[in-house]
Amino acid sequence: MLFRPRIHAADFEAAAMPHLADLYRSASFLIRDSSEAEDLVQEVYMEAWKSFHRFEPGTNCRAWLFKIMFHRLHHLRRRLIKASKVEAFTRPGDEDNLLAEPPVPQEIRDGDILLALEKVPLEFREVVLMADVEEFSYKEIAATLRIPLGTVMSRLSRGRKLLRGELAEVAKSYGIQPRTREASDGESA
Amino acid sequence: MNILSFDSRQCERTRRQMDAYLSNELLVETTGEVLKHLENCKACSDELESRTRLREALLRAAAKRLPPEDLRDAIHQRLKEAQRGLPWAFGAPTWTLAFAALALVVIAGAVGQQWLQYQRGRQMVARVLALGVSDHAQCAIKGHNYPEIAQSRDQLRQKLGSQYAGLLPAVEGRLPGFQVLEAHICSVPGSPRKYVHFIARGQGTILSVILTKREGESLPSGRFLATRAPGGVDLYRAQLEGFSVAGFEVPDYFGFVVSGLGQNEMVKLAASLAPAVRNALSGSIGTEKAAAPALLITSVTIGSDPEF
Repeated sequence: MLFRPRIHAADFEAAAMPHLADLYRSASFLIRDSSEAEDLVQEVYMEAWKSFHRFEPGTNCRAWLFKIMFHRLHHLRRRLIKASKVEAFTRPGDEDNLLAEPPVPQEIRDGDILLALEKVPLEFREVVLMADVEEFSYKEIAATLRIPLGTVMSRLSRGRKLLRGELAEVAKSYGIQPRTREASDGESA
Repeated sequence: MNILSFDSRQCERTRRQMDAYLSNELLVETTGEVLKHLENCKACSDELESRTRLREALLRAAAKRLPPEDLRDAIHQRLKEAQRGLPWAFGAPTWTLAFAALALVVIAGAVGQQWLQYQRGRQMVARVLALGVSDHAQCAIKGHNYPEIAQSRDQLRQKLGSQYAGLLPAVEGRLPGFQVLEAHICSVPGSPRKYVHFIARGQGTILSVILTKREGESLPSGRFLATRAPGGVDLYRAQLEGFSVAGFEVPDYFGFVVSGLGQNEMVKLAASLAPAVRNALSGSIGTEKAAAPALLITSVTIGSDPEF
């Protein structure tokens, strides 16, 4: 190519800026400090602007922006883990019995579930966020996080279960008794 | 509704597929199987309801997490700065960047070439002027090859021979405050080079005026010039081995004025001498032939050699 396509600010604005809220939302659940989350989103937009000539119009700009964000986030995390300033990925033990699901409270308050989400280890939290909040497909998640499809599925399954367990713990701390399986079975009987 | 055993194989299979079902990632056939089981299994149906409720609650709660109002403005501001700061880096055509890189290479090459030429020129000037200094040091200073009382004009003309005798008045007339004590033709042992040597005394020091064949060598022009003498003769100067030397170039010869005085003094004398020497040489010995020399000095011997 003799000429590099000229980037028009208006094109970038139209393609990238509508996804600001989504990016910030995910960033804020991945980085606890809100100002750092803002910084991360700003950096994502700056990097996207610089490499916008590589973005193919008509493809998924939102997924592309998330890919940039997770790339930066993982890079940042690797750096900070060395300095022991952020939580590292944790690897829970073997899969629990899939049938032993923690109960879900009947009434789920926003604050409770967000608190529970924060307690889910990052490795699983990011997949749950991508799938259940941002509603990306498995394939898009695999591409964004650069992990195999099977890993997306196992992390999502594990992440949802961990979220459920954390939510049950949060509810219990408020004295809310979640509906138990026995109760549920009893109702249905 | 039939309630199947909780740990039945079908329930376990459905639970395993429930995550993919929630994410709408199941194949159509598998989805049909799951739905069929859910219709007949309250436990799995309740489990799906719990998971769906959890997912919806998460989506609902997360949707309330909005970016700060000033974040969009901050991003716009940074983008504007980026556009202003480096417009060429983002929007410039590839050929422009390539041309800029090529221009840099060419400029760097030209500068490098200039630097090399300058270094070569500087070395050439120093090498040539060092001849005059060496001749002066070897013959006049170390060899002390001059009498305390000036020899007669006839003796000096005889030593110089007919080819160079015409130079004597030109030199004497251009060295105010100096008396020419000696004039002869020197040869350099181990080298075919010879030179015409005038030794004068004045201002408390010994001064040499030396002429030696250029043999095709030439001094570089431009920034190496000290000045240009009347008549268009270029003058060069240096401080070497404790002596000041001013050099000039006339047809077929390099000329040097060397002494322990200052460089400016040498340049002044050379500026006066150069045109006169040039005229004298062109008038009397412009067509004479000389032995092939090399511009290299080892030591100096003295003698009268009118064949030079």
